[in-house]
Amino acid sequence: MKNMNRRKFVGTIGAASAFTFISPVSSIASNAKIKVGIMGLGGRGRFLTERFVQREDVEIVYLCDVNKRRFSHAREIVAEHQDKQPKLTQDFRDMLNDPEVHVIVNATPVHWHALGTIMCCQAGKDVYVEKPLAVNPWEGAKMVEAARKYERIVQVGCQTRSAPYVQKALEYVKSGKLGEVHMASVFQVVDWKNNLYKTEEEPVPEGLDYDMWCGPAPKAPYRPGVWFRDAWDYNVGSIGGDIFHQVDLARHILDLPYPKSVFSSGGVYHYKDGREIPDTLSAHLEYDKLIYKIEAATWAANFQKIPTTVRDSDNFPDWEFCSTKIELLGTKGFLRLGRQGGGWQAFNENGDIVASEYGRQADNIHINNFIECVRSRELPNADVEEARRTDLLIHLSNISTRVGSEKLIYDQGKNNFVNSSEANKFLRRKDRDVWKIPNEV
Amino acid sequence: MIGRKLFITGMLVVLSHALFSQWAAIDNVKINIVETELGGSAVEINYQLNADHIGKDLPVYVFIQYSMDNGATWKLIDPAYLQGDGFNMVMSSGSKKVTWWGSGINDGEILEIRVRGLPMARIPAGEFNMKSLPAGGKDPSRPERPDTNLPEYFLAINETTNAMYSDFLNDQGRDGAWWHDQMANPKRGGISRIDSAGRIFYNPIPARENYPITYVSWYGAHAFLKWCGLTLPSEAMWEKAYVGGLFLDGDDVKQIVNPNPDRKFPWGNEAPDQKGIFRCNIDGDADGYSNQAPTGSFSEFQSPYGINDLAGNVAEWTSDWYTTTYHVGLDGFRMVRGGSWMAMPLECDATSGATQFPIKESSIMGFRGAKMK
Repeated sequence: MKNMNRRKFVGTIGAASAFTFISPVSSIASNAKIKVGIMGLGGRGRFLTERFVQREDVEIVYLCDVNKRRFSHAREIVAEHQDKQPKLTQDFRDMLNDPEVHVIVNATPVHWHALGTIMCCQAGKDVYVEKPLAVNPWEGAKMVEAARKYERIVQVGCQTRSAPYVQKALEYVKSGKLGEVHMASVFQVVDWKNNLYKTEEEPVPEGLDYDMWCGPAPKAPYRPGVWFRDAWDYNVGSIGGDIFHQVDLARHILDLPYPKSVFSSGGVYHYKDGREIPDTLSAHLEYDKLIYKIEAATWAANFQKIPTTVRDSDNFPDWEFCSTKIELLGTKGFLRLGRQGGGWQAFNENGDIVASEYGRQADNIHINNFIECVRSRELPNADVEEARRTDLLIHLSNISTRVGSEKLIYDQGKNNFVNSSEANKFLRRKDRDVWKIPNEV
Repeated sequence: MIGRKLFITGMLVVLSHALFSQWAAIDNVKINIVETELGGSAVEINYQLNADHIGKDLPVYVFIQYSMDNGATWKLIDPAYLQGDGFNMVMSSGSKKVTWWGSGINDGEILEIRVRGLPMARIPAGEFNMKSLPAGGKDPSRPERPDTNLPEYFLAINETTNAMYSDFLNDQGRDGAWWHDQMANPKRGGISRIDSAGRIFYNPIPARENYPITYVSWYGAHAFLKWCGLTLPSEAMWEKAYVGGLFLDGDDVKQIVNPNPDRKFPWGNEAPDQKGIFRCNIDGDADGYSNQAPTGSFSEFQSPYGINDLAGNVAEWTSDWYTTTYHVGLDGFRMVRGGSWMAMPLECDATSGATQFPIKESSIMGFRGAKMK
């Protein structure tokens, strides 16, 4: 870690690790391949495996999943691109204990993002972790602490942040051409028709380490399906899981730190499948002289996410019915932007388009930025602290709905609400004893 | 309308490598034009089918294609235009006669006919115990539970082979369509491609004819089956063929009770490698194969309906969708079922499956055809 750029890492060095398998990564020779372990081999994990293994400067050395049935399709991806085959394991600690491993790609379900990442940091591994960041605000804070304490590169998978068109939007706003921006609106208006199934309890399938799958989250009786995506102890919900991207982009472009307050209303209005997390949400987050609005629904007809015909082409989406747009209102103009390569357009006071940029998706650019930072020890584009600030907006919005749409005043320094002890109960979940995120990471 | 038959030439096209391709053995194909008293002219197609074990439960699916441009393009004859005992599900060997009405052939045109047959297994109508959830339970847009009372259908006994796919490419892939360069991989593929004088020719690599086609996308699988007049099976169809219905002779008969309708594997509950006996092609080379095996290599361990390789060898595309919540309407994932030569034994069981981009082309994925009655 001698080559760590300390100007970039200003986190607090705390107490010794609660875990015993710390094995710091030795410095990587400039021409040596970066050894990567993949944690979680579902759809996203396999997608990232394919993107990482195609790089000549990367070798996949482990594939890890709690479900034995998931190995072959990931193995095949690796076999097509490298001669040396990866080790397979159901226990990610095997990767942490192996000094050969430099990087862990954490593509697990959300309830494993925090503890998985923290343990990786403690073991001296750099981490590429998927969004959303964590199940609750406290977990996110601990992830940041761990990254700083162990001087780890932790890049979060909000890849559009790395897109050149987003950078140009940022520069445009920063130039003052929109004037003073006092309002930002972020949308997630989709029609998912996503019944989560009221599946019955079943025996744990052979080959699945269900205890490990639950990790720090409660060990509920096993039920197949995706019920956990809208259960508070496991996730941030269907809205939060996807809106993370555009919430992050708007915050990034406007360079917003932490909000002062949140007021949010919503609930489970449409679906009758036993979900806990709202399918409808309207939130106002207050910054200094700026209102940041989130408008989200998962049942709304007519709207469409950025079509594949737009994502990597010189086209703009149909903004009126764009599910995932961002709108920035300034005193001199108006800018709308689409994630996933949707591009952006800026308008002046007369409604004329005065600037625009087509977009492209940025998965490879984002991964490239991560790999470069693993070598340079610079902070990556979606450093965990940045992602944590974004994650917080989603958590605060959710919590406000949970306490009956109360306006909550948030104190970032103390990481709590100053006006609601009830809301503070939702800042952290009680972990299981067997898998616990430590107070001192 | 067909004119004078003297100006119409019937050309014989016989499958020459049936023994290595998993096509059924069909030869002695003859065609002639017959004038009928009231219906005008018709094309009469005669051929000889020689298939082992053929019968009601193990028919041969016969499809007939024609060309009228010296073999440059081939089209499937719509079965609705056909009459006789030698098309669709054919249940016995021997001489077959098919009459093609309304062919639309004109004077002076040259007609070529191809007859191909694919061994199938009949899956009688009725209930079965489906253990897997649609799309692995991960697709909120799919029904929570599928319909497990399926009508009668047929499923190919073997996975589609390199030789079969090569024939398809020579018809439909002359511009390079449906081809993946890795199909020429001598160890994991099995088709050679020759670009000559602006035309592309395909041939199965010697000794790889009977291996399952790999590196084929969902779209390629679908195109092949459309060329044949078949479809991909749904997940439910695939799984019922694997475990068997509650009654193996169907709910209309109910004479043969499935002794193990909850079986883990096509042959029963024994693991694929239990006691050192290898029952399908799984990971490693202890089963005799370090990658794919010729289709039907483990025919002692068929499914209850006599179907080969459902458990291992290559995983198989199905017709069913998988839609992730976050990408609904944008991605069009499809479900793949079954294990493969790279899978652990457990991954080959009746419930295993994976989601895949339909454009994915993989060395562990192939397909087989299905047809509703």
